[in-house]
Amino acid sequence: MTRRSASLALITGLAAALALSGCAGSASPEPTGTVDPDATLTVGLVLEPTNLDIRHTSGAALEQLLIDNVYEGLVTRTQGNEITERLASSYTVSDDGLTYTFTLNDGIVFHSGTPLTSADVVASLQAVRDDESMQGHSELAGVASIAAPDASTVVITLTAPDQNFLFSLTGPAGLVFQNGDTTDLKAAANGTGPFTLGTWRKGSSISLNRNDAYWGEKAGVGEVVLDYIPDFTAGVNAALDGSLDVLTAVDPNLAPQLEKSGDFVLTEGRTTDKGTLAFNNAKAPLDDVRVREALRRAIDHDALVAAVGAGQTMYGPIPELDPGYEDLSDIAPYDPERAKELLKEAGHEDLTLTLTIPSFYGTTVPQVLVSDFSKVGVTLKVNSVEFATWLEDVYSNKDYDLSFVLHVEPRDFVNFANPDYYFGYDNPEVQSLYAQAKAETDEKKSAELLAQAARLVSEDHAADWLYNGATITALVPGVQGFPEDSINSRIDLRGVTLSK
Amino acid sequence: MIRYTLVRGALLIAGLLVASAVIFLALRVFPGDVAQLIAGSKATPAQVDALREALGLNRPLPVQYAEWIGGLFHGDLGTSQLSGASVAEEIALKAQVTVPLMALSLIIALLIGVPLGILTALLRGRRSGTLVNVAAQAIAAVPVIWAGMMLVVVFAIWLGWLPAQGFPRNGWADPGRALQALLLPALTIGVVEGAMLLRFVRSATLQASGEDFVRTAAAKGLTRARALILHGVPAVGLSVLTVLGVQIAGLIVGSVVIEQLFTLPGIGRMVVADVGTRDLVKVQSELLVLTGSVLVVGFLVDLVHHLIDPRQRESA
Repeated sequence: MTRRSASLALITGLAAALALSGCAGSASPEPTGTVDPDATLTVGLVLEPTNLDIRHTSGAALEQLLIDNVYEGLVTRTQGNEITERLASSYTVSDDGLTYTFTLNDGIVFHSGTPLTSADVVASLQAVRDDESMQGHSELAGVASIAAPDASTVVITLTAPDQNFLFSLTGPAGLVFQNGDTTDLKAAANGTGPFTLGTWRKGSSISLNRNDAYWGEKAGVGEVVLDYIPDFTAGVNAALDGSLDVLTAVDPNLAPQLEKSGDFVLTEGRTTDKGTLAFNNAKAPLDDVRVREALRRAIDHDALVAAVGAGQTMYGPIPELDPGYEDLSDIAPYDPERAKELLKEAGHEDLTLTLTIPSFYGTTVPQVLVSDFSKVGVTLKVNSVEFATWLEDVYSNKDYDLSFVLHVEPRDFVNFANPDYYFGYDNPEVQSLYAQAKAETDEKKSAELLAQAARLVSEDHAADWLYNGATITALVPGVQGFPEDSINSRIDLRGVTLSK
Repeated sequence: MIRYTLVRGALLIAGLLVASAVIFLALRVFPGDVAQLIAGSKATPAQVDALREALGLNRPLPVQYAEWIGGLFHGDLGTSQLSGASVAEEIALKAQVTVPLMALSLIIALLIGVPLGILTALLRGRRSGTLVNVAAQAIAAVPVIWAGMMLVVVFAIWLGWLPAQGFPRNGWADPGRALQALLLPALTIGVVEGAMLLRFVRSATLQASGEDFVRTAAAKGLTRARALILHGVPAVGLSVLTVLGVQIAGLIVGSVVIEQLFTLPGIGRMVVADVGTRDLVKVQSELLVLTGSVLVVGFLVDLVHHLIDPRQRESA
């Protein structure tokens, strides 16, 4: 039966070509009518969560679905990754950066009907701090005490100032759950958010229903159905046959189909996705900085971004949306001749390396790298593996030469300051700068320190950043208020409306 | 017949046991585990290991195998390590998509394969017969996934008659829509499987036409075609029955591929996803159910065969 198995990548390309060549011209978008407050909004996404227990399970798919929609924290992030209040109406930070005082909004109620008090907040944060099996446990390691002086105030005291602390609370670590709740969080939910969890049809869709008892401004639609369509082409087909109002994470190479149909408005959103080409700094020949620099200079980043079809170049570990960003394009510009010289100096004129890449990232990036590297005498073997295999071989066992993963997490510079991370990058100066940035109470100064550290990392060529991703979203014209930026980790659906 | 059934039944059970061991061991070869996936790429090795311990992944393999088999004897297929849901319930839910899909595919395959197979046999040596036969050869060689793509582009994208992918969210609450969603995928599998069946039926028919009983009938004054239809086709039916066992295996493989392509929430897609997340307790039960279905179909086909084929009965 082997002749029946076929490469999906080939098929995807073929289908795209076919659909492009034969796309029947359809009508232009109809003029939009009035907003329907009880509308059902259908959103197509790629990655489905494996379970709903956001306290114990990692993954962007879970955060995207649940944070701000079903569960809320004291604070959250804006699309531009700025910190903003959510359950807290306001907060203050003491001058020494040790004491955070939050005042809660009035009338917050869990989906179960129980009012939220400061005790729920204390219990939730306490659990994350004390239980190492919880997501975000390490982020709350510096918390000395969590107290509730009254029903609407929460005071958190740290052992040392931590510039990252507040941002940690915008993630899974900061979500508030009902104290003593017996809900099975793997399959059900009980939060405070503007939506309650409807039905989860595994392998297909999850629905969210408007929470009419929501404490703040209520959601603009009656129901949201999240349709999980793992195959990019199938997603585009679903949009084209009219079964979706929104398609997120559109494959840039398939976007023209949606544009040509005339039925969709396309937005391109900024992200903190870093297409990271990791070098195994701890292993020869990549422990030689000349080899790492050569590899970086061998890559034509502009051409690579064009091949990926969206996003922009980035030449350092910190993306534009995060504190500490600066343009580092002067550090390793495209220069294949210099790359060859460097390899010659390092004694590697004829080098063979293996790239380990999770298979869902497709073939575009490996193809570009193979061809760019071959021009400077480096043979690149591509080892395409399942994500679980990548976690085992690369992440846990650090058994690799080069690896490619899209690191989507915002403010994750810490990975270059952690010698145990799979990058194998151990630079005491970077570690010290990062520690200073973390302990610095002045936001501006902290960002400056981060920028210095990031420059060092890039000058060391600890990795290459192939591109800073952008996400394309397709919307039918009646959809208003759908978030554009950072939506691979957050989709706040509260403000979305649909007119028919 | 009773002795035959008992012997064949014992073989079936032995087959299932061997399959369970092979499945269990083969899955343990995969790198990575569910603990790493749950903990994700921010967890420390200590955190991952604590989770492994909690999930019982650190226990010796024989213990894990014995636990699984012990559960099976009580009719318990286990629970998912990721979602905590009962595996049996999940399979039952996904079967609502996969079983109708396979049934529909089989019906389409039979509707294509049997009449056309007999027709091409009758038209042997004529140009039209050769044409159909060559077309069938070509279609049978088409990968299922490619056929599916073609059908989507034509019927869903160009003509807009049928949905390109997915299954109604309310399942079979609206049977019409559910059937519509299954039509393209079933057609995809059915056409390819049907073309294979056609070639098989054709050669079986040609073989039957050379059999003594058909020739005797022809000698008694029937035309060759009538002799074949009256006396040969029942014999062909028997051969088709035999090949059905093989076809079921083909349908299962086909449905895994097709469910991916059409985003159908069926068993095939579930297995692929569960292998990806290393939810091994779930995968091993799923694979055993699939393998078991094929073995049971084979068992039933053999029994029926034994019942109706006079030659087999005499030799037993």
